[in-house]
Amino acid sequence: MTVIQEPPGREYRPAEPQLFEIVPGPRPHGLVKYLTSTDHKQIGINYMVTAFIGFLFAGLLAEGIRTQLIVPNNNFVTENVFNQLFTMHGTIMLFVFLGPFGFAGLGNYFVPLMIGAPDMAFPRFNALSYWIYLGGFILMSAGFLTNNGAANFGWFGYAPLTSAIHSPGPGADLWIVGIALTGFSGIFTAVNIISTIFTLRAPGMVMFRMPIFVWNQMVTMFLILLAFPVLTAAMALLWIDRHLNGRFYDQTHGGQPILWQNLFWFFGHPEVYILALPYFGVVTEVLATNSKKPVFGYKGMIGATLSIGALSMGVWAHHMYTTGAVLLPFFAALSLLIAVPTGIKFFNWIGTMWRGTITLNTAMLYSIGFLTMFLFGGITGVMLAQPVLDFQLHNTYFVVGHFHYVMFGGSTFAGFAAIYHWFPKITGRKLHEGWGKLSFAIMYIGFNLTFFPMHPLGLRGMPRRIETYNAHMGWNFLNLLSSVGAYVLAMGVLITVWNIFRSYRKGEIAGDNPWDGQTLEWACSSPPPDHNFESLPPIRSERPVWDANHPDQLTEVGHR
Amino acid sequence: MHAPTRLLASQFGSPHGVTAQDSYVRLLWHLAFYFALPLGLIVLGGIAWCLVRYRAKPGSERRASQFQYHIPIEAAYTIIPLIIVAVIFGFMFNAENHVDRVSRAPAVKITVEGFQWGWRFVYPNGHQEIGTVANALNINSMKNLPVLYMPAGETVQFTLKSDDVVHTFYVRDWLWQRDLIPGVHNVADIDVKNPGIYDGQCNNICGQYHAYMRFLVDVMPVKQYKAWYAHQAANSITTAGVTVSS
Repeated sequence: MTVIQEPPGREYRPAEPQLFEIVPGPRPHGLVKYLTSTDHKQIGINYMVTAFIGFLFAGLLAEGIRTQLIVPNNNFVTENVFNQLFTMHGTIMLFVFLGPFGFAGLGNYFVPLMIGAPDMAFPRFNALSYWIYLGGFILMSAGFLTNNGAANFGWFGYAPLTSAIHSPGPGADLWIVGIALTGFSGIFTAVNIISTIFTLRAPGMVMFRMPIFVWNQMVTMFLILLAFPVLTAAMALLWIDRHLNGRFYDQTHGGQPILWQNLFWFFGHPEVYILALPYFGVVTEVLATNSKKPVFGYKGMIGATLSIGALSMGVWAHHMYTTGAVLLPFFAALSLLIAVPTGIKFFNWIGTMWRGTITLNTAMLYSIGFLTMFLFGGITGVMLAQPVLDFQLHNTYFVVGHFHYVMFGGSTFAGFAAIYHWFPKITGRKLHEGWGKLSFAIMYIGFNLTFFPMHPLGLRGMPRRIETYNAHMGWNFLNLLSSVGAYVLAMGVLITVWNIFRSYRKGEIAGDNPWDGQTLEWACSSPPPDHNFESLPPIRSERPVWDANHPDQLTEVGHR
Repeated sequence: MHAPTRLLASQFGSPHGVTAQDSYVRLLWHLAFYFALPLGLIVLGGIAWCLVRYRAKPGSERRASQFQYHIPIEAAYTIIPLIIVAVIFGFMFNAENHVDRVSRAPAVKITVEGFQWGWRFVYPNGHQEIGTVANALNINSMKNLPVLYMPAGETVQFTLKSDDVVHTFYVRDWLWQRDLIPGVHNVADIDVKNPGIYDGQCNNICGQYHAYMRFLVDVMPVKQYKAWYAHQAANSITTAGVTVSS
């Protein structure tokens, strides 16, 4: 099963004791496997496929938003439907796609593989977590099938607009329950992956030999444990307000609407790092693999991740600068400070490529795309972190542009890099490089065409979430540009979808280690067998497979 | 202005505000770009340099260098950003203190009330200017919008209130906004230098007709404002789009 070539001049013996007995007999496959499996790889695939369906669905909603805004005074959809479109676009993208794809999908599949574990610590708990997540996705989307439609108050649902009086109907209830369920699922996954990392590392895999991807996943999981219970509690309070005559967010009976904002953003800001850190990990691994180098500044990188995690717990009120109810300098200082560890990561990524031998495959292209656009989103983030500038920009399209540069140009492009990088490991076949590069080029152009014009739009004062606008505000051309870009972007995404369907059946056979990978997932076959490893190479650094395959190119000891 | 000076004074797309607080906003924009442009170019340049210089060429025997740490460089890109952030924070702190300052003796006090979906501006003598979207559902028309009358060149203090959901009082030419939150007492000062008509809009999703929840601000020279104010009877109500026949 193991595929590592005998390293010239040095031998290593496969581990002798067989830790797991392979049970012979027919294995379930197809639908039965999907329904019954507790294997971390199958559950990881379930998460990734479900999340990607969520991505396509929410993307379709976004095309609806852009079509409504393509010209002023347009009547493509009604006000109410428009509000549903942007609410569910945001909700599904964040709670169904971007988070679960990264921390649950990629986390499930690759964390055990990268630390040399046979499965997750709690396999059945893991399956439960997936099914709860799927239930959440279905419930929140089911709002569209109800009488009054889905939730329509924006993805951060500010009280009291979410009250039973202002938003009657089951759409909002389904939204609450759906998010609470995905929240529970996230908590379960976090417990599971933290336990896995702490208890199931292979012999030799000490913490400071874990790949950066695993480190980032671990910090993400701690953020989930801190943030998601608050979200779920806030949703429970909202439910009590709506159905059990609670008054938590009702100012007319002594409640406090601003309590919701504090609770929501106390979750919401760690959340954006929950949506980003796993993808930082992806980019780190892709850059190192394709530069044939160790990660530059490995320990500094871990320190940066830890400090991003710590700082992200103290910046929630930078979403509330304009409320007049928060201490501005404190939150501004912490928000600005996040730029420092993020900057360290950027320079480490450049350092990783520095003096390497770089192969520009599709995964690498998407990672470079990530670097350039996340850089832009980070710079506009430093502007928004300053309360005085935020008074001007808050809730305008500038914020929408910034957010999409971080979450789409950043995290989602890294997600595509992950698809192209690890598809061979998951299916045994490579994605087609030509289609992949075309998809990247069209997505890159479409993305910038869609989201760059949003910055000048915001500077010209266009508020987000307006269903239509006056033709004399100077917003027409930029909106047209943005909407055309959204269609181009969709074409780019669809090419990758086609590529996945095509390559799943007749892609080039990948072999076990197609990219000359460095970390342990490349030590087993593609796709990996049940319980992953029959034997492991010796683990003496954070890239054991590289060390085994290139004993003459070990990481230089010490520093310069 | 010479071209280089103009470039240095550029706000890169941000319009100039019309308030006395504008100079602080402009300073922060300049600062942001003085730091962001070079830093962005350095990072982009670094990426591009690595991709061009170190790309694997077919047939080349060059092997990747396997070093992992370079302490001086790593220390530099930790400490320099810390200093930059501290400088930005210092300027921002100063600006924020000025922009958020609330006067004890403002020239005019106006209560701004948002509701689903419209605005009510209440003056010290009880006079109200009201407008609702019911009379202004044509998005391309500025007719029948509620109008906020105020003097130019004087400190105007707004008390911001809402009794239903969260709204935001936002005038784009002021480069400024503040939320109207039920249960939060919000007071803010604005000093508009240039008389004129400015358009404003609710900037927080507040339900179905959020996009139509607009208003106008008529900033008048002080004399003209005083004349207008003297003309308004105590506790009278003017509703935009509704003609009162006496």
